[in-house]
Amino acid sequence: MGFFSTVFGLVGFGVGISSGLVIGYYLFVYFQTCDVKDPIVRRLVEHDSENLHGLLPEIPFWVKNPDYDRMDWLNRFIQVMWPYLDKAICKTAKNIASPIIAEQIPKYKIESVEFESLTLGSLPPTFQGMKVYLTEEKELIMEPFLKWAGNPNITVAVKAYGLKATVQVVDLQIFAQPRITLKPLVPSFPCFANIFVSLMEKPYVDFGLKLFGADLMSIPGLYRFVQELIKDQVANMYLWPNTLDVQILDPTKAMQKPVGILHVKVLRATKLRKKDLLGGSDPYVKLKLTESKAPSKKTAVKHNNLSPEWNEEFSIVVKDPETQALELIVYDWEKVGKHDKMGMNVVPLKELPTDEAKVMTLDLLKNMDPNDVQNDKVRGQIEVELTYKPFKEEDMPHNTENLGAVQKAPEGTPSGGGLLVVIVHEAQDVEGKHHTNPYVRINFKGEERKTKQLKKSRDPRWEEEFSFTLEEPPTKERMHVEVCSTSSRIGLLHPKETLGYVDIILADVVTNKRMNEKFHLIDSKNGRLLIELQWRAS
Amino acid sequence: MGLISGMFMGFLFGIALMAGLREMMRYRGRKRITKAADIKLLSSLNRDDLIKICGENLPEWISFPVFEQVKWMNKQLNKIWPFVADAAEAVIKESVEPLLEEYRPPGITSLKFSKLSLGTVAPKIEGIRVQSLKQGQIIMDIDLRWGGDPDISLAVEAALVASIPIQLKDLQVFTVVRAIFQLADEIPCISAVVIALLAEPKPRIDYTLKAVGGSLTAIPGLSDMIDDTVNSIITDMLQWPHRIVVPIGGIPVDTSELELKPVGKVTVTVMKANELKNKELIGKSDPYVVVYVRPLFKVKTKVIENNLNPVWNQTFELIAEDKETQSLIVEVFDEDIGQDKRLGIAKLPLAELEADTAKENELRLLPSLDMLKIKDKKDRGTVTIQVSYHEFNKEEQLAALEDEKKTLEARKKLKEDGVIGSTMDALDDAASIVGSGVGMVGAGIGTGVGLVGSGLGAGAGIVGSGFGAVGSGLTKAGKFMGFGGSKRSGSTTPVNSIQENEGAKPLQT
Repeated sequence: MGFFSTVFGLVGFGVGISSGLVIGYYLFVYFQTCDVKDPIVRRLVEHDSENLHGLLPEIPFWVKNPDYDRMDWLNRFIQVMWPYLDKAICKTAKNIASPIIAEQIPKYKIESVEFESLTLGSLPPTFQGMKVYLTEEKELIMEPFLKWAGNPNITVAVKAYGLKATVQVVDLQIFAQPRITLKPLVPSFPCFANIFVSLMEKPYVDFGLKLFGADLMSIPGLYRFVQELIKDQVANMYLWPNTLDVQILDPTKAMQKPVGILHVKVLRATKLRKKDLLGGSDPYVKLKLTESKAPSKKTAVKHNNLSPEWNEEFSIVVKDPETQALELIVYDWEKVGKHDKMGMNVVPLKELPTDEAKVMTLDLLKNMDPNDVQNDKVRGQIEVELTYKPFKEEDMPHNTENLGAVQKAPEGTPSGGGLLVVIVHEAQDVEGKHHTNPYVRINFKGEERKTKQLKKSRDPRWEEEFSFTLEEPPTKERMHVEVCSTSSRIGLLHPKETLGYVDIILADVVTNKRMNEKFHLIDSKNGRLLIELQWRAS
Repeated sequence: MGLISGMFMGFLFGIALMAGLREMMRYRGRKRITKAADIKLLSSLNRDDLIKICGENLPEWISFPVFEQVKWMNKQLNKIWPFVADAAEAVIKESVEPLLEEYRPPGITSLKFSKLSLGTVAPKIEGIRVQSLKQGQIIMDIDLRWGGDPDISLAVEAALVASIPIQLKDLQVFTVVRAIFQLADEIPCISAVVIALLAEPKPRIDYTLKAVGGSLTAIPGLSDMIDDTVNSIITDMLQWPHRIVVPIGGIPVDTSELELKPVGKVTVTVMKANELKNKELIGKSDPYVVVYVRPLFKVKTKVIENNLNPVWNQTFELIAEDKETQSLIVEVFDEDIGQDKRLGIAKLPLAELEADTAKENELRLLPSLDMLKIKDKKDRGTVTIQVSYHEFNKEEQLAALEDEKKTLEARKKLKEDGVIGSTMDALDDAASIVGSGVGMVGAGIGTGVGLVGSGLGAGAGIVGSGFGAVGSGLTKAGKFMGFGGSKRSGSTTPVNSIQENEGAKPLQT
């Protein structure tokens, strides 16, 4: 008897609870509106102190911390732009989703899946502060604090077996602090090659998920579970040190690294036109690659000769064989005054075969304008032998992935030893008493190296690289680095001056493999010198 | 019994669960919405808000200037500057050289960069202000300051003198850049950007010019000319209301809304001037008046010789693009051998004009429009003009736009033919030629014929300057131009057609 009543009781409870749930659903949940309303944002002045207390944890970082910057202007910008962004994003999302949906639904016997409404709401993402870090490396690091507490309304209606179910996402809130690193910096627009994004902390995610109008996220425990799940998923992918990499430029191209060498042999010229009034001309040839900053190369001057033979060889570094061209200009040397141009021609490098010598005979022209009538005149010809040798793949530095990484020492370095590479980047606030034309002199084990001299510059940038091959790691040595200046005028009282020096202990370099540090100069008021040292052990 | 009580219990439990769920939903929904509202509120705070939150003692690092500070951006800019400078050099060369060519003053035959490096000092953004005054537009004002150390050398070729490199040093740029973003419904949501320099505060661009391996005095007035060129480029291209419109993102958008369009016609009658200053040693000044709204479209009156109270009574029509900010500039010159001297300048803001009513204005002449440059308070006399403003309707506007294009093209053509030295020349009227006689070729305009590529060298140059000395019909254009022999004879014809009718409107509207 007791047993039966218990069973009946349980069955009754089961029936009761299901009917209760259904009735309760219709009573309480069904008639709840599913519309998303704009939250009423009252002005702060109207808030009472109780509300203000609720506000305190959300105070933006720039108020609390001096190292964060305010970005309200950007917030205002986004706010005005938001309605347009909203429309554009939703439209794009729909366009992307609809073909995928159309492809997938036949598999699951679903009649249709469609967006009943799709809008990101009226509240734009906001930046609550921006922090930047300065390092000595060629990179920009910034950390914006992004908070999006929006009121989107994304309703997906699924129809299957004659029934319609709606899933609605409301009140999406995402707070994240991504670290955006732009590196390496390169001298061509947009001036950086890669963007790395990673999250410094697990993001905060919150939202309402309404199934048939009931917010599943309100079920105690479920919300926490889902939130943790999402956080972990995102964290697995993007939490520091994991990063999202976006390549903007091909760094090797952007850095304009040399990709090959062009060997030019200037053989001879024939039938040059006479320019001098008395005697023959004194021709010489000037060679230059277009779009290159390197100084042009010159052959010797052949005096009084209209069919000169030079047979001189030159090698020129090529950075982009697709666009660069070799420019040959024949000049007439003059003792006094300007050297006259006798003719010129241009050979685009892409027309050359690789690794193969090619002898070319070129007509000399006045200029490269094909329509200029003056080019019809015969100015003679020039004969050159051209060989373009691109660097082999293995010669190319494979440091696209991590430019900060130290390369291996080249072959031929004694075992146990290695290559010490010194890169002189720049100096700041160097000032001489009489002149400031700074260059850097490096003294190491009796060897002396110099950078080129920069004229009248208090903040010179050299970006020059030197290397020393060593028998053994320089654990006990020091390197003497000195910034010097010489007067541009000759024979004055102060021909040379030291702007400051620093002695670098190299043991640290050997243990760290790479150091990029700003040294304060000794015997200088406020001078600093940025030097990078690398130890490439074999 | 057990069944019924069980059902009843279950029923109650189920309803209670649902009621609980609803409460949870409401609670959580409310919480999220409050948070959203809070965050929205905190995204743009002002001083009063912060005082309300934090109390009177705000942290020291907080301030609320009109232009919001962007320290982070400056830090980044400093770092990336050497790379930007490298990348920008080529771009600047490509885009600025044609500009220099267009605005090149007469007297200089070629103006090119021979060296361009932007230096090591990065520009500084003092602040940014964002406002939205019009639906679908965002206005961003950037307060930009650049006290840079760029190394810019201009290769200037003037007639008579071979190319001299001129170095621009100690460049200082203080200006507020206004960027207007036109919004659109397609990604990237910005269909066009309008860039201009705000006229108020006036852009300040200072630099010193230095001739490399020579002296600037080699060409008299050269530094003034370069100043003029730079000034004209800036005021006529960039300074609000003039602007550059850049369409973005491949969305075909009608940007004509954003472009500067002729909105009205200013009819100016230069009547007379009184008590002009005498600048000549012998006799009195020979005054004429140049009138313009945009420096690209200058018109001038005839020269009245030896008179300090001249009466011209000549009428011109000029186009106005923005009545609110543009001004009518009236300059009085003394025609002279070599360079003409400016007797005074006056400005009449168009905003003061009433539509379609002619009004006489007596303007006091000033030595310069830049108040900082005025050093004396001497009286320079007055100039009297009668001005009326007519606002265009749609058809007139289109017609004016067409005309403007044609005029510009015609000028370009004249320039290519070597008739006028520069599109900047004031178009002359016939009177000055008639007045000066002496068989001078097409006076003001004709004088622009330089030694462009004539290769005659210095000898011809001296001859040319000899000519110049004789000519009294020289305008500013003739400052130090010789006559390039071969081209001279042919140069009158196209000019005369414009000059035919005395006192006419050289710029038909």
